[in-house]
Order: sequence, then C-alpha cells, then structure tokens
Amino acid sequence: MTQLLYKKTTLSAQRNMAALLRALRAGRALRGLGSVGAAPAAAQPLCCSLTRGFHRAALRLQDESKSEKPPSSSTTYHEHYQAHSAEQEAAGAPQEHSATEPAAEEASRPNTSYQDQSGEQGEEYETEEQLQARILTAALEFVPLHGWSVEAIAAGAETLGLSSASTGMFYNGAGDLVLHFVSQCNSQLTDILAEQHNQVQLGQAEPKKTAEFLRDAVETRLRMYIPYIESWPQAMSILLLPHNIPDSLKHLSTLVDDMWYYAGDRSTDMNWYTKRAALTGIYNTTELVMLQDSSPDFQDTWDFLDNRIQDVVNMATTAKQVQATGETVVQGLIGAAVTLKNLTGLNQRR
Amino acid sequence: MAASMRLLFRRVIRLSHRNVNVTAAGASGRSGCCWEPPTCRCFSDAAGDRNTHFGFETVPETEKAKRVYKVFENVAQKYDTMNDAMSLGVHRLWKDMLLHVMHPQPGVRLLDVAGGTGDIAFRFLEYIRFQQERQKRRAARSMQTPSWQDISNNYSTEDEDVPQESRAVVCDINKEMLRVGKQKADGLGISAGLSWVVGDAEELPFDDDQFDIYTIAFGIRNVTHIDQALQEALRVLKPGGRFMCLEFSKVTNPVLARLYDAYSFQMIPVLGEVIAGDWKSYQYLVESIRKFPDQEEFKGMIEDAGFYSVKYYNLTGGVVALHSGFKL
Repeated sequence: MTQLLYKKTTLSAQRNMAALLRALRAGRALRGLGSVGAAPAAAQPLCCSLTRGFHRAALRLQDESKSEKPPSSSTTYHEHYQAHSAEQEAAGAPQEHSATEPAAEEASRPNTSYQDQSGEQGEEYETEEQLQARILTAALEFVPLHGWSVEAIAAGAETLGLSSASTGMFYNGAGDLVLHFVSQCNSQLTDILAEQHNQVQLGQAEPKKTAEFLRDAVETRLRMYIPYIESWPQAMSILLLPHNIPDSLKHLSTLVDDMWYYAGDRSTDMNWYTKRAALTGIYNTTELVMLQDSSPDFQDTWDFLDNRIQDVVNMATTAKQVQATGETVVQGLIGAAVTLKNLTGLNQRR
Repeated sequence: MAASMRLLFRRVIRLSHRNVNVTAAGASGRSGCCWEPPTCRCFSDAAGDRNTHFGFETVPETEKAKRVYKVFENVAQKYDTMNDAMSLGVHRLWKDMLLHVMHPQPGVRLLDVAGGTGDIAFRFLEYIRFQQERQKRRAARSMQTPSWQDISNNYSTEDEDVPQESRAVVCDINKEMLRVGKQKADGLGISAGLSWVVGDAEELPFDDDQFDIYTIAFGIRNVTHIDQALQEALRVLKPGGRFMCLEFSKVTNPVLARLYDAYSFQMIPVLGEVIAGDWKSYQYLVESIRKFPDQEEFKGMIEDAGFYSVKYYNLTGGVVALHSGFKL
C-alpha cells in the first residue's frame, strides 16, 4: 500500500520537478517580456501552459468562425525574425486574427532571442506560403554549393533559424526550389518592363522598336541566370520532369505573354499564337546556347539572340511579300484562264 | 487510510505548486472541476472521476496508464515477433514509409516517443548513415580531377567538416520495452548516437526546442490525454521541427473494412494467445484501434495543438495513417 503511494509520489515528484523547471524558465522569460505578455499568464507561471492552450484553442475557434477557407490552408502564425521585419511590414499578410492572439502567442514563445521588436505590435503575420517563399529564397544562395536539391533548401531553412526538418513541407523537393526561382525571375522581369513602360508614358524615355525591345527583354531575363549558370542544366532537367512540366510550361507561357504585352502587342487573331510561338522558340534556343557559352559576358549568346530576332523579323517581311506576290500570281492565272476560255470560244453563250 | 494518505499527498503537491487558484479548485474537491480546461494536468489525482476508454471498457483515467503499462510489460519480450505475425511483416514497410516521408538530413536530432523496441530509431540512424555515405561518394567523384588549388586546400585545412552527428533518443514509459530495445541495439551493434530514456509522453523529461523530428509510431492511441502529448511534442520541437505520427486508423474501403474487422477480432487475439500467451493484451490492442479518432479528426487535433501544414497519408488503404505537422 505504502509502496504504491511511494511510487505515486516519485512520479508526481518527477512531474513537479519538470513542471517547476518549466515554470521557472517561463517565468524568467515572461519577466523579460515585460508588459507584452497576457495578464493571466504573467501572474501564474504554472497556469500559463493551461491558459496558453486555452487561449490558442479559443482563438482558433474564433479564427475558424471568422475565416471562410478551411483552417489548414489559410492558417496564419507570426514570426519574430528581426532581420525580416521590414519585409513583413510591407507584406501585410491577411490580418484575420484579433489582437489578443499575438499576446497569447507571445506568451507561448519565451524564446528571448526573438523578443526585441520595434513597438508592441512588432509581431508579424505570415502565411505558410510566404514562409515557404522565404525559405526558398534563402536557399538560393546555397545552390552553387549544393545544387538544386533538398540540401540547399535545408541550408536555407537553417539560415532562417528553422530546423532542416522543415524541408518536409516541400513535397516536390528540388522542383519547388527551381519553380520558385523561375517565378521570382519572371516577376522581376515584369517589374522592370512595367517600369520602362512607365518611363515611356511619362515621356522620360524613347519607345523602342519591337525587335529591339524583345531583344532587351530576353537578354535581361537570361542575365538573371548568370549567377547559377553552372548548375542551370540540372535545373532545366528538373523542370522537364513529367510532374513539373505543367508548372514550367505555365511559367514559360506567362513570361512570353508578358514580354509581348509590354512590347505593345494587342492582337486578337492568329497573330497572337504565332508571335508567342516565335518568341518561345527564340527564348528557349537562346537559353540553350547560353548554357554552353564561354565567351566573355556571354557575348556569343547575345549575338545569337540578335540573329534569331533578325530572322523572325525577316521572315515576317518575307511572309508579307510572299502573300502579295501570291495574290498577284493568282490574279495573273485567273486572267490567263479567262483569255484561254475566250480564245477557245467557251465563253460565248449560246 | 488510503483516502487520507491520498489527500495528504495531494496537499503536498498543491503546496509545491504554489498556485493559489489551483489549490482553491483542488480544495473544493472532486466536485467543482467543471470550469477547468480539460487539458489540466495539475491534479490528475483529483480527476479520478473522469473516465476514459481502455479498449471497449470504460476505466478511470488514472487507471488507464497503469493498465497500458501492464499490457506492454507483458508483451515486451514477444513484441517484435507478434508485430510480424499480426501484420504479416507489413509493419516494416509502414516504418520504412515513415522514414521515406521524413527524409532526414544529416545532423538532425530525432525523438522517438513510445519507441520501445527502437524500430524507428534504428531505421533513422541507418538512413542518415546511408545519406552521409552517398554524399561522401558524390564529393569524392567530383574531386576526381582536383586542381592544384584543391589539393593544397585539402592539405592545409584539417578535417573541419566533421560529419554532423545525428542523435536519436528513444523515449518510452515502459522500462521492459526499453530493455528489449537495448538488447536489440546491442545485437545489431548500434550504439553511437542512440539514447534510451524513460518518460511519459504527456510530460516529456526534455527542455524546450530540443529536437528536429518527433515521431510516435503506434503509441499515441495508448496515451490517456492525446492533446497533452501533442502539446508536449510542440514544446520539445525546435522551430521548423516536424511531428510525425504513425497510427492505425479508419479503413476507407468498406469491403476491406469488413475483412480487416474480421481479421482483427478473430485472428489477432488468437495469435496473441498462441505466440505470446496473452489473449487480453491483444484484445486491448484491436479494441484501442477502434477507439482512436479517424484521420480527419486526428488531423484536427494536431492542428489544434498548434502545428501547421498538417497532412496525412493513408497506407494500406487506411489501415495505417501517417500524420505529419510542422512547428512554425
């Protein structure tokens, strides 16, 4: 009987010790937090674990009742990354939570290294997608070392202070990294083109001719690959994997569409398809040439690009000429046929 | 006598907690506990009147942990043999799938809770070792024609690139299971990077932010308060850490479900009696599977605990589900 009670006490004593240690640590951290911690949590360190769970559960219910999307896809959380605070404030992620959640979350993360934020509302909100984007962007600097692989993503996650186990979030592994990079380059290009367009609108720059515009756009876009050119063949092979093809084609088509749009194309007939097909061909072939180009600053590649664009322009003029000639020839033939009919007398009506 | 002793100890616990509110509530005895959140563990002794399921039986919550302990104490010796017999060896595939989805990078720390005989930990160490060897081979291949610069670098720098140690900690509440696991480890010759710790999943004896990966394979249904175990998992994981849980779940296909039920209730206890000499433990096993929440519900519980990006994979048509969540 007493043995049973003894066992109980040792077990509960163990639990007490563990709980006490936790409480002490939490208490220390909460003191460091100062006034930011939620009031009930500050007073009773031991109850903070309870209130934390309670708060989180209550606020999650609140959040679920507010948001329309299912929780798993739009769950938000906040990060204490001082280095990225500026970016986050600009990002302004969907603010679905009430102000009490930051306090509860604050109390639940007594990790003092992330504490000093500017102002009381220093917590930033971020969706999972934004966090994934940040991890992948951080991973890009490890690509020259590890190639386009999960190891690069793991290294990127570690620079953000996350464990390398978070690479499990990327179910497509290296494919996610490459696709993220490609879409990042596309958005950068779109920004540059939009800026140039604005400049032309404001009259600060001369509008370029179509051929020159396209040439510059393709060159700008391909120059973004220069830092990763060593490993770019690996990235291209990843993009060609069957499960990545839909996404990579989508990125390519939006890229080409953007380029033509900013070049001024507003066609609504067959030209829309032919123009984009031509530019896709130019872009892909130039990319391939760039992979094995060893001239200084890739001069050979840009010459190749010039020639291809010239070809397309020539082909366009040639096509017009052929059409005109064809029409003339057809007219001539019809005339000859009518003359023949007259000569043979078939044209007379009896 | 027993009641008064219990009261005395309860008071001792309360005093050591130094928490006035809790004391007030505790002093009001077993009756006035309704306002507390159900995740309260400060006075588990006072919660005796709350019942939970033990298989298809209803038992007080305090009882359940003890009875589960006894079950696993009895089956520990024959645990692996019974696993192979009951699942026809498929449990190895399930555990391999867990490792495959986990895809651990070298240098991560694993906590395997309810990991008794150490299956997951052994596989983890093997996987990491294989990855490191592959990386070394790849590095060696790329160094086939080193430049003079590379050669001089290799001579000048010492081997700073010490392969990061991966460590696996196996935690189990049951000493018998850990003993069997240790014997297995000795038999396999695995000792580096492996520790064996006795601990309760609801109250882990570890500091915060310690582990990269937390796994619990076929153990969480035996825990009395699953949400407490999930919160503990959240606590001990580092930011970015991953929670993975392998557990029996609801079979989706109705035909398969009937076959599975028939097999579970007719064959498994019989196998238990024949091979391990213990009908009741295996009866508990199959009943506890039925009592465990299904995939979606468990996913909800994991999200409630505070994990993000929670996803589950159905293995073998839903017989086993692999849940994964991240602490972000």
